[in-house]
Amino acid sequence: MPALLEVEACTKHFGGLVANRDVSLVIEPGEIVGLIGPNGAGKTTLFNCISGALHPDSGRIRLQGVDISRARPERVCRLGIARTWQVVRSFGRMTVLENVICGALRRTNRVGPAHARALELIAFTGLAGKEDTPAAGLTLADKKRLEITRALATSPRLLLLDEAMSGLTPIETAAAVELVRRIHRELGLAICVVEHVMEVVMPLSHRVVVLDHGEKLTEGPPAEVARDERVITAYLGDRYRARG
Amino acid sequence: MAASSPPGRAGRAQQVAWVLAALVAILYPIPFEQSGYVYYETVGFLVLLNAMLGIGWNIIGGWAGQFDFGPNIFFATGAYTAALLSIHFGWNAWLALLGAVVVSVIICAAVTYPITRLRGHYFAIATVAMWMIAQPIGATWELINGSRGLFLPVATGGGFVHGMLTMEFAGRGKGLGFYYLALVLFALTVWGARAAERSKLGFYFRAVRDDQEGAEGIGIDSRLYKVIARCLMAAIFAAGGVLYCFWALAVFPDQVLEVNWNILPMMAAVVGGLGRLWGPVLGSIILIPISQLMTATLGAGPLAGRGIDLIIYGAVIMLIAGWRPNGLLSLPWERWAARLLGRAPAQPVKS
Repeated sequence: MPALLEVEACTKHFGGLVANRDVSLVIEPGEIVGLIGPNGAGKTTLFNCISGALHPDSGRIRLQGVDISRARPERVCRLGIARTWQVVRSFGRMTVLENVICGALRRTNRVGPAHARALELIAFTGLAGKEDTPAAGLTLADKKRLEITRALATSPRLLLLDEAMSGLTPIETAAAVELVRRIHRELGLAICVVEHVMEVVMPLSHRVVVLDHGEKLTEGPPAEVARDERVITAYLGDRYRARG
Repeated sequence: MAASSPPGRAGRAQQVAWVLAALVAILYPIPFEQSGYVYYETVGFLVLLNAMLGIGWNIIGGWAGQFDFGPNIFFATGAYTAALLSIHFGWNAWLALLGAVVVSVIICAAVTYPITRLRGHYFAIATVAMWMIAQPIGATWELINGSRGLFLPVATGGGFVHGMLTMEFAGRGKGLGFYYLALVLFALTVWGARAAERSKLGFYFRAVRDDQEGAEGIGIDSRLYKVIARCLMAAIFAAGGVLYCFWALAVFPDQVLEVNWNILPMMAAVVGGLGRLWGPVLGSIILIPISQLMTATLGAGPLAGRGIDLIIYGAVIMLIAGWRPNGLLSLPWERWAARLLGRAPAQPVKS
C-alpha cells in the first residue's frame, strides 16, 4: 500500500533562484503534517507543485502511487487533492452558497445534489446564515473559511491549507485551528498545513517538516523540531544563538 | 442564482408582469400590420435579433468573463452555411439552420481552443484578430462567391404558415413573418440560456470568470469551459445569421461581418446588465429603437449626412454607461415595484 502522497526529490527553479531543491516528503492517510519555514523558504512553491499549479523541474510527486508531477490542477483535484490559497481566491461575485456548490459539482453533474451537499458543508464549517452573502463581502476570516468549505466540497483525500490562519486575529486563529481539528476528526482527511507562525502549527501537527532556503532542513514530531538547533537558527538567525 | 418567484402577492405580480410582457411581444406587430407602418415590424425584428445575439454574447462576456470582440464571424458562418445548403442542396430553412449551427459550433471549438490559454485583454485581442482574418476570407473565397455575395431565391407565394416553416415570405406579410420567426428563435434562446445558467455550466462559467486559478483548484478545466461558453455563443450567433440571410435574401461578406453585429449585442448586454439573463434584452429594447428612430428622424432633413443621429446615439450610451456602469438591471426595480404596489417588501428579493 503506497503512502497517500509521496514527494520524491522535488526541485523547482525560477530562473537562477532555487525555490525547492531535492525536497522529499511523505504524507500518510489521516495525518496532519505541518510545513513550516521562514518567509521565502519555498513552502508555497512546494504546494503549487503538489497541486499542479507548477510542475517540478525534476523529481516525482505521487498520489496513491499515481504520478501527478505533470498533471494540471483540475486533474490533481479530481484525483483527490484540494487546496486553499495564501491570497484568497474565492469567487467574489458569487454567493457563499454558489461558491461551495461549484466545489460540490466536482462529484456530481446535477445542481440539486450539489446544493444539498453545499448546505451540509456550510453548516459543518460554521458559515450557516451567510449562504446568500456575496463572497467579496465576507471578512478575511470568513473568506478563508469559505475556501476551506469549497475545497471540502470536492471530497478530497488530502487537504492542503496554505496559510489558512495567517492575517487573522487571535480569536479567529483559534477558531480556524479548531475547524482544522474538526475536519481531521470528523472527516478523517489527511491535512497538510503551511504556516510560518510556529505557535499555530506546533500544537496542531502530528509531524512537522521544516524548509529553509528551498531545502528540507529536518522533520519530526513538533516537540523535537522546536528544540532543533538548526530550526532555531533558521527562524531567529545566528545572532540569537550567539547571545544564547 | 436566479431566485424562483417569491410566494404570495409579489410572486403573483411577477407572474402577471411576465404574462403581460409575453402578450405585448406577441401582439406588438398587429397594429402596424393593420395600419401599414410595417417599418416598425422591422424595428421589432431587429430588437429581437439583437436581444438574442446579446444573450449569446452575455454567455462568454458576462458569465464566463471573457470579452469577445469578434462574435460576428459565427453570424457569418451561420449565414453562409445556411445559404449554401439552401442554394446548392435545396435544404429547408430550419434544417439549414440546424446545419449552420452545427458547422459554426465546430468551427468555433477549433479556433477557440488555442486562444483559451490567453485571458483578459489578450483573449479579447485574439478575438479581434480572428474577425480581421475572417474579413479577407469572406471577401475573396470563391466557394462563397467572394465579395459578389450569395443570393437566395425570392419566394413566390405561400401563406403565413408556409412562410414560418420555410422562412420565405412573399410580398406584404414579410415584416410580420420575420418578426414572429425572430420571436420564436428569441424564445428558444432565452429558454436555452436560462437552462444553462441554472446548470453546472452556469456555475462553472462564473467560477472561471471570478478566479481562474481558484476554479482550476476545485477541478474545473478552465480552457474547456471557455470553449463551451464561446460555442454556445457561436450557436446563437449562427442562428441569428441564418435568420438574417433569409430576411435579406443575400449574404455579402461586408454585411454579415459588419462591426455592428459585434458591437450592438455587446452594448445591449453592458447597458442592460452584464451577466444577467435579461440584461441584453432590456439593453436591446432601449438601444435598437433609439438608433432606428435617430436614423429615421435626424438622418434626413437639414442635418442629414452629418452623423448627428450617431452622435446623439453615442451620447445616450455614454450617459447610461457612466450613470449605471453595472447596467440598468442593477437598479432597485423590485423595491420600486413594491412601492408601486403600496407596501414594503417583506424581505429583500434577489434576482
